[in-house]
Amino acid sequence: MQRITYQPGDSFLHHLHPLVKLAWLVGSTAALFAIQQPAGVLSVLFLAAIAFPLNALKIHRVRGLRLFAFTALLLFLTQLFFASTDTPLLQFGPLRITEAGITRGIYVAGRLLSVVLLGYLFVLTTEPNDLGYALMWAGLPYRYGFMLITALRLVPLFEREAQTVYQAQLARGIAYDARGFAWSGLKRFFTLARQFFLPLLVSAMSKVDALAVSMEGRSFGKYPRRTFLREVAFTRRDGVALGVLALAIAGVIAVRWFGG
Amino acid sequence: MIEIRDFSYRFSGSERYALRDVNLDIAAGEFVVLTGPSGCGKSTLALALGGFLFNQYNGEATGNIRVAGMDVRQSPVYDVAEVVGLVQQNPEAQFCTLTVQDEIAFGLENRCLPRAEILERMAWALNVVDAHHLKDRELATLSGGEKQRIAVAAMLAARPQVLIFDEPTSNMDPTATAHIFDVIARIREMENITVIVIEHKVAYLRRFAPRWLQMQSGQLSAISGQPSAFSHQPVVREPNSEIQNLKSAAPLLKTEKLAAGYNGHTVLHDVSVEIGPGEFVAVMGDNGSGKTTFLQCLLGLLKPSEGHVEVTGQDTRATPVSKLAQRAAYVFQNPDHQLFAETVWQEATLAPRNFGVWNKKTEALATTLLDEAGLGQRHDDHPYRLSYGEKRRLNLAAMLTYTPSLLLLDEILIGQDPDNAARLLEWLQARVAGGSSAVLINHAPDIAQHYATRLLFFKAGKLTIDAPIDQGFAQLARLGYTAYLPYSGNGNDG
Repeated sequence: MQRITYQPGDSFLHHLHPLVKLAWLVGSTAALFAIQQPAGVLSVLFLAAIAFPLNALKIHRVRGLRLFAFTALLLFLTQLFFASTDTPLLQFGPLRITEAGITRGIYVAGRLLSVVLLGYLFVLTTEPNDLGYALMWAGLPYRYGFMLITALRLVPLFEREAQTVYQAQLARGIAYDARGFAWSGLKRFFTLARQFFLPLLVSAMSKVDALAVSMEGRSFGKYPRRTFLREVAFTRRDGVALGVLALAIAGVIAVRWFGG
Repeated sequence: MIEIRDFSYRFSGSERYALRDVNLDIAAGEFVVLTGPSGCGKSTLALALGGFLFNQYNGEATGNIRVAGMDVRQSPVYDVAEVVGLVQQNPEAQFCTLTVQDEIAFGLENRCLPRAEILERMAWALNVVDAHHLKDRELATLSGGEKQRIAVAAMLAARPQVLIFDEPTSNMDPTATAHIFDVIARIREMENITVIVIEHKVAYLRRFAPRWLQMQSGQLSAISGQPSAFSHQPVVREPNSEIQNLKSAAPLLKTEKLAAGYNGHTVLHDVSVEIGPGEFVAVMGDNGSGKTTFLQCLLGLLKPSEGHVEVTGQDTRATPVSKLAQRAAYVFQNPDHQLFAETVWQEATLAPRNFGVWNKKTEALATTLLDEAGLGQRHDDHPYRLSYGEKRRLNLAAMLTYTPSLLLLDEILIGQDPDNAARLLEWLQARVAGGSSAVLINHAPDIAQHYATRLLFFKAGKLTIDAPIDQGFAQLARLGYTAYLPYSGNGNDG
């Protein structure tokens, strides 16, 4: 299983500017909730789904997808059976299936699944670091932008340290890996939790100290603004993507408020 | 350039002065080396010169520090940063971004320099540290030595007048260490840059003919002439007949065609070794050559992808680590990652309790070991209140309380001054004389030569040398690994 994180690649979406992708994510999510036709919701879902193979992303290998698909199915069934108030199309004892039930099921489940897929598309093809810099370029105060970048830097570091602490505990005979360990009692659980998190906390604090020295020692925070080495280059591809998004949103608005 | 007058400093909550009555004048362009035992106040002095002490920490300061005419105590850090650059010990902890270019640009962007100038300075700084080829890399993909060179470049790019290196090579293998000192040599040749190097590896620094300063318990003194390097006499290794007998017994440890790695990526290939009782094995090789992977396999922290490992006859695939650990103790690099209990005494007795061997005998042994570690009066203190060297000795004592027959030690000498290191090594040696075996990953050839009986040398995941220690070094010399040879003018002393 792949983790839900950036997967390096060379696809169309990988090359799209992070802010354009963000605009697509926000725009299509808004459109999903504006669309009043089940066919519309299904088309967005379909487009989001085929975007995976088109961008060389292996949809079936992404962690968490099955859980979301299952949730969507449950939601669909609940709506199908319990939101049906009009004339039934089919009836099994107390369970009635109606057109309104199907429509509501598609709305709820289709929207959930579409938002999840769009989110995956964004996360799997956008380097978080690039996004951080792009947001700062677009006007996000750099102190907030670097909060994101610092978190990105420290999380893998802490993950590795947690692994080391776990191993160090095994080496001292704390039998996490032995059978029956899970039943060793609540009190022991709290002792172990403390013994696990204290070393991590101490080490995190010294890391944060070193980082603060490093940032201040390089004049972080000297001026309210700063310059950036990275140039934000919008390509024709980005222009086209934005144009298509604008047209799609215009279309949704037209149908929703001026259409039939 | 630097003028310190009657400066003293005490961290809040501490009774002891970290720095006491320090007086120092350093002229522009001088090259100064500052040595002294771990925890003596060297790093505190570096933090004082950079102005960090007076902004980030609440402490009590008296006296004056002026750098380039600026009163450091009264100036904001970012003004002092225009003059002073500080390269810290751990490159990974001081990175603020994720890529080489972002990292070098970081300080320049904060100073609002225009893009063209940032590019120009970046090219220059990368050139000085000989890292132009790393320009498009992500920091996470660099080796330790490469990371430290980028950290140096990031500081240089700001064109500081004073550059301070705080133990810049403590996490590095001999090859990378030699490289960093070459970089320092190049910076030394530049005009108008004052360099202060805080280092234990004094032998590397002799070629710079620096001004030597020593710090002891927060007080500074000049050293006339040169400081002594690793001063402990070689230990005479006499063949011990009892151990010779033990050796004919079953090996403590055996690996057969061992291959192992992470996430499907094989790091270690085809390693077959047997280690018997009474051996002191030094494991050497560049960072990334598979030393730690090898050691992790020996305790079953990592299971072999091919071949197998037996610890006192037990297959690591079939036995839980927490059980194997009773026979094979593993001490990790960072002391802070392996202190779990609330008092020194509980820490020292945690493992025997877990293993169910807590009795009068182990209790007496724990008392003796803590006395030997110099922690006899500290039973009720919290482990995190100990000094770096004391924590290290506690780590080791906590392992010895259940008398494991195999001691696996991963770079436990990092950041230890020569006296502390010698103390740990002599302690280990006593265990080996008693029939245990030690497997020590370390980067100091002199230490390996003084204490070890056997050398394992790894290169790109393969065991390329497995020989008695003296023959091992002879083979290294033949193969041209000069950085790995014991100090004989090339400058390795721990």
